[in-house]
Amino acid sequence: MSAPQAPDVAAELREILARATGRDELLGVSEQTPLFGDGVGLDSLTGTLLLREVHRRFGVDVAAEDLNLDALATLATLAAFITEHAPARPAPGP
Amino acid sequence: MTVKCVIWDLDNTLLAGVYLESGSQPPPPEPVMLGAAATLRGRGIIHAIASRNPPEAADYAAQATGLDFAAAECGWDRKSDAVRRIIADLDLSPDAMAFVDDDPYERAEVSFEVPQVLVLSPEDMAEAVGWPEFSPPAVTAEARRRGEMYAERRRREREARAFAGSRDEFLRTCGTEVTIAPAAAADAPRLHELSVRTHQFNTSGEPVAEAELHRLIGSAEHQVTTVRLRDKFGDDGLVGGCVTRAGQDGTWTVTLLMMSCRAMGRGVIEALLAWLTGSAARGGARALAVPCLISPRNVPLRLALAAAGFRAVDGSPTPVFSRPLSGPRPEVPGWVTVRPGPPEPGPAGR
Repeated sequence: MSAPQAPDVAAELREILARATGRDELLGVSEQTPLFGDGVGLDSLTGTLLLREVHRRFGVDVAAEDLNLDALATLATLAAFITEHAPARPAPGP
Repeated sequence: MTVKCVIWDLDNTLLAGVYLESGSQPPPPEPVMLGAAATLRGRGIIHAIASRNPPEAADYAAQATGLDFAAAECGWDRKSDAVRRIIADLDLSPDAMAFVDDDPYERAEVSFEVPQVLVLSPEDMAEAVGWPEFSPPAVTAEARRRGEMYAERRRREREARAFAGSRDEFLRTCGTEVTIAPAAAADAPRLHELSVRTHQFNTSGEPVAEAELHRLIGSAEHQVTTVRLRDKFGDDGLVGGCVTRAGQDGTWTVTLLMMSCRAMGRGVIEALLAWLTGSAARGGARALAVPCLISPRNVPLRLALAAAGFRAVDGSPTPVFSRPLSGPRPEVPGWVTVRPGPPEPGPAGR
């Protein structure tokens, strides 16, 4: 068993974001780009899709543990929150 | 909990016969069930189909019954899976659903797998029209049009899937118009209904009686605001509202904020929050506060509050999310046109 690593998590988050928003260019978004506002433009719909998918894939319920959703500041803060709160998941096979 | 959606089996339930066993002439609607369905539509209850038939059966049923179906699941997998997909697709709660099927096995399977769903035989359904579960308190213009609005939503979503560009670009082509205006007495029934029906975008989680809404609309200390939504696909009518009170301490408090989940993802809540902060700032307030119950269901509202720069201090079941009004304020998404409503009545202004 091993905890997920932040760089892998960030890559997976880019995929989720691109799918939730229909914007393929988010596959290349920087880890420091703000998720709300001018950066990614996360709104209540795309944000909900993102949080549901994070809960499903990583077992982390961000909304339950982070009142102000500060974890959603940037891709980097979200990836860090996930690696910190994720239950260990099985290591990849040989 | 009152039922918001009835999921119908077709063969020997909504149709008087078996679709695939009837040759070139499919069976007509079963008159008692059709009567029940039409009565429920008049009360704002929507309909859906879960049938072991090819997808054409749903198109036939819509045409033969004249009903709008908000969702249709035709196929040969388990009925409980079809019911679950419809619940997810319509974004309703399982205890807001009824399922009608003539087959006792299907009824037992759905009851077992999704126990919150009210499961009925056609005989039960004929009688259930008179039950309180099927009698929502307020029947508003929005409620009567609900089935049609879901059909419009399906057209909007079909076109969105076929659209080559991003979601924002699609929304830009939809001509979304949000109208924000002071509430009139005639809006009270619909605002009451929103207080009962909305969960994902609701700060209080408590129904507000019509009499209380009338009092708030007439009160000089409160401002009751309505939000209407339309685009090229259709007019969703009154989709949201809020109640604001200006405090002596320079803080305006939004004592209730609610929006239909039908308006989710179309820039409406963002437009309302941007308008509220602008309006409070113009009214001389220094801060805007939104007390908000924390529940797993209203996470979308918390996302909207976070995106608009609101923050709360932990430690209460209803934390107060607030933001200062100096500096940059939240913006209305580029695809939304906000129309001001009619001017404020009364000498005091707001």
